Amino acid sequence: MSALLAEAPRPGVRAQPEDGDLVAMTLRGNSEAFATLVERYDRAVYHLAYRTLHDVEEARDATQEAFFKAFRSLRTFKPGSKFSTWIFAITYHACCDRLNRRKRYASEELPERADTAPGPEQRVIALDEASRLRAAIDSLPEKYRTVVTLFHLQGRQYEEIANVLGVPMGTVKTHLFRAKEQLRRLLTATEVTES
Amino acid sequence: MNMDELERALLELPLEEPPAGLRASILLATAYRPQPAFSFLEIVTLGTLGAVALWLIVLLVSGGGSLFVHTLGAISSVLSRTLSNAATLAWLAAGAATALWLTVFTGSQPLATAAHRSARRDSR
Repeated sequence: MSALLAEAPRPGVRAQPEDGDLVAMTLRGNSEAFATLVERYDRAVYHLAYRTLHDVEEARDATQEAFFKAFRSLRTFKPGSKFSTWIFAITYHACCDRLNRRKRYASEELPERADTAPGPEQRVIALDEASRLRAAIDSLPEKYRTVVTLFHLQGRQYEEIANVLGVPMGTVKTHLFRAKEQLRRLLTATEVTES
Repeated sequence: MNMDELERALLELPLEEPPAGLRASILLATAYRPQPAFSFLEIVTLGTLGAVALWLIVLLVSGGGSLFVHTLGAISSVLSRTLSNAATLAWLAAGAATALWLTVFTGSQPLATAAHRSARRDSR
């Protein structure tokens, strides 16, 4: 994890164990080690789930599911790979399953329901900067939204994002470029409307 | 807003605040999940011993001492006849060797789980 989650070592503070060491300790039966991993990543995992699913309860369930799956299949974690990438990939797949179920349910139970929600520009107006950015991200198509959320969590590590999504790095770069272009246009439009 | 400003804003965007109690519920479902008091193997062993004990008590109560002694004698004679047969012993040995080979070389769950459990106990 890059800028957001990695903590720089502070003088006088004992060095934190690496994620890989914590996984190994958990496999040796140390429960505290897994608790540390949960403490490190629960917020980021929840953030990814929430930004993907747009629903607090579903995001909560997807986060729990992701950690539960990770705990159960910890033996399959490849030493040397990044725990963050692994847990984000599990989370992303859990979210995709939920989105697919939701789409299936919507097509079966709620046909042709008119979307009465305000459009992306209306939603973005009259919010503070962070909220405005969040609203703009939420208004992006799903594939772009996920890439932007992972860019937020993983920083400029395109390869990690590609690993989480299971797509080529070129696709990540293209999606990210288009997403940022849409975001910029959306935010600029709201700035103009506000002024 | 230009691309650099947007990128900076994206990277500085605060993470979503998870609902209260989420971490606790994750930990209760994973790392701090209460261990069952007995393992499956322990339950099977205790159940078998209990059933044998019950059977012996029923034998003692219903038929008195002679039936009990007679049944024990019958069991021991069947066992001694079975175990003195070379072919039976060979088949038993082959079965045990196959089970051991499968467990050790294919990473079968029971032994791995047992080792994991004992390691957890040691670490406490």
